[in-house]
Amino acid sequence: MSKTLHVLRYELITTLSRRSFLLVSFGIPLLIILIFFVISIMKSDTSSTIDVSSNTTQTIELEIEGYVDQAGLIRVIPEQIPSDHLLPYLDEEHAYRALETGEIAAFYIIPENYVETGEFIYVHPTLTPSSSDGQDWVMRRTLLVNLLDGDAMLADKLWNPMDLKVTNLAPMPQYDRYAEEDCSTPGPACESNALVQYIPFIMAVLFYMFITMGSSLLIRNVSSEKENMVMEILMLSVHPRQMLTGKLVGLGIASLLPTIAYLGAGYIVLRLGGGVLNLPSELTIPPSLLVWGIVFFVLGYAVYASLMAGAGALLPNMKEITQATWVVMIPLFVGYMVALMASGEAPHGALPTALSLFPLTAPIVMIMRLTIGGVPLWQILLAVGLMMLTAVFVVRAVARMFRAQVLLSGQPFSARRYTRALLFGRM
Amino acid sequence: MNPIEVSHIVKSFGATQAVADVSFAVQRGEIFGLLGPNGAGKTTTIRLILDIFKPERGTVSILGGSMTEAKKDRIGYMPEDRGLYQDIALERCLMYLATLKGLSKVEAHKRLEDYLERFDLSAHRKKKVKELSKGMQQKAQIINTVLHHPELIIIDEPFTALDPINTQLVKDLMQELRNQGTTIIMSTHQMHQVEELCDRIVLIDEGRDVLYGNLEEIRRQYSGNAVLVRVVGTLPSLAGVETISYHNGTTKLMLMKDTSPQDVLNTLVAENVILEKFEIAIPSVSEIFIRVVEEGDR
Repeated sequence: MSKTLHVLRYELITTLSRRSFLLVSFGIPLLIILIFFVISIMKSDTSSTIDVSSNTTQTIELEIEGYVDQAGLIRVIPEQIPSDHLLPYLDEEHAYRALETGEIAAFYIIPENYVETGEFIYVHPTLTPSSSDGQDWVMRRTLLVNLLDGDAMLADKLWNPMDLKVTNLAPMPQYDRYAEEDCSTPGPACESNALVQYIPFIMAVLFYMFITMGSSLLIRNVSSEKENMVMEILMLSVHPRQMLTGKLVGLGIASLLPTIAYLGAGYIVLRLGGGVLNLPSELTIPPSLLVWGIVFFVLGYAVYASLMAGAGALLPNMKEITQATWVVMIPLFVGYMVALMASGEAPHGALPTALSLFPLTAPIVMIMRLTIGGVPLWQILLAVGLMMLTAVFVVRAVARMFRAQVLLSGQPFSARRYTRALLFGRM
Repeated sequence: MNPIEVSHIVKSFGATQAVADVSFAVQRGEIFGLLGPNGAGKTTTIRLILDIFKPERGTVSILGGSMTEAKKDRIGYMPEDRGLYQDIALERCLMYLATLKGLSKVEAHKRLEDYLERFDLSAHRKKKVKELSKGMQQKAQIINTVLHHPELIIIDEPFTALDPINTQLVKDLMQELRNQGTTIIMSTHQMHQVEELCDRIVLIDEGRDVLYGNLEEIRRQYSGNAVLVRVVGTLPSLAGVETISYHNGTTKLMLMKDTSPQDVLNTLVAENVILEKFEIAIPSVSEIFIRVVEEGDR
């Protein structure tokens, strides 16, 4: 046990002390946070946080904007919008000047014939796909209240004409649960809920990234030890299973840390996103999804990282590492592609269901199906059971491969040789 | 019970028979030479002893039986080439490998301090292994082999890349360990080191042991009936001498079967020849090696 811990500790510290690893794992997320932080500071000059909802459950950032009311419609500003956040201007020229000086972030022009056409102009200087697309709901709300002679209650009814309660007898998709967020009052949150439908895709990408990162570390580690003959020394110091377990856990933790860093960066960006990307700032992951996600992540990592270690054991040199990596990762890649294709259309069709049970594709496809929702518990448990069995089998088989007969053979890598070594323990 | 007993081991890789039939035993507290030309099967034999490979036939007994996990900590092994992490600091590399051999961190650190000092590597402890010279890496490998004080050491080409001073350092260490009761198997091509260090040897050629036993006995066995003589003036003609050859001022006299070295000495004394050197010609290990391997004189 202590030797396993020695291996684990050594692999963890060695990996974490590599400059390139630190840069990719923590430098890039930090840079992303920094960029968003700078952008949010720049934007905060013309914005402030206010409470716009009547039931005071929602707090959003609101920029100071102006308007030129050529139709003469606006007499009152709705009480949800502070009057100092929607400033009147005599004409376009004054409004432009205020925009240039940074006094306001944008302005609206209500043309004289607005009542006939229903059109107004929104002048916003930073209208790009990656930046805020404004808060035109402020003017919509203002016009609505004014068209109704300031009757705020009637305006509320028109804004949200019915309080729909849906009872869905079928299992509810996860993103529908997010949609349960209260949209009866104006604000950007309801619009940004569209983002949550991409969660299956995001989860699939994250899992693919995490598993490939950890297992790539392992294949490089084993093949380099084999190449510089340290493996021969290690085999006379520690049992193969201890060595493999130590490496699996050590490098697993090492790959988990950048994973956490990227997720943390994503969370911070989401927090900043309310003002920058118009992303949902209150996005939460259901605990059940989180728990199953961790289970599938750990098992998926154990299976793939062990398979990678086995491939590393067979590699005669580092040059063949790409080929070996590709051979091992094919099932995961297939799962990833199926997850991408099925996430929007038929997440519970025959193929996604079968692949979500198959241990080599389950870590990606099952997570995709879980994020969409409606997966029967027996399928989840069956997938977990099959993955556990596979993990145990693969770890044992690969530990058997950590014999010099295999390690020192020097024969070129091939999928056939690998499968034979894995299944039958011989070359 | 000998620390190592190898009995008729056989090992093939595909169509190539690396070890055809090798048997020998290594006694406790001796330095044992494992000799042979390139490709003779020495490294495979070592790996069979260490249970890295399994023999197809024959048996290996190490430290009183089959290899076990517990026995691994009692063995020190230095492969011929590399065997250290290249990309990490020397001290960290040696500390890690020592703890895997069961040493506590404190003990490993204490011993490492002594060895780094002894091998003049203290100043280089923070350098990456790949930044060290070949000689330094060789010394680092030797430290790694002995740091956990194993009772059995198997060491492949210990003197590679070492200058005369460091060679002497390693030889002194090996003799010191032998005196402390450590058993050492040394595989090398440097025959003069074998002559200096080894008590017994086995010579492997084409996967078979062709010469095995006490080194002095083997040398006497291959000495033939010859003497080495150096005299002041001219060597007189001597009866019973078959051939005469000259090597660096010394004359080698091959004697006839019925002539003994004592007969020659008596004749020289009787002739009032002033002797500078008179000794029975015993072949070097190198000469025996060539005779056995190239000329098939077994």
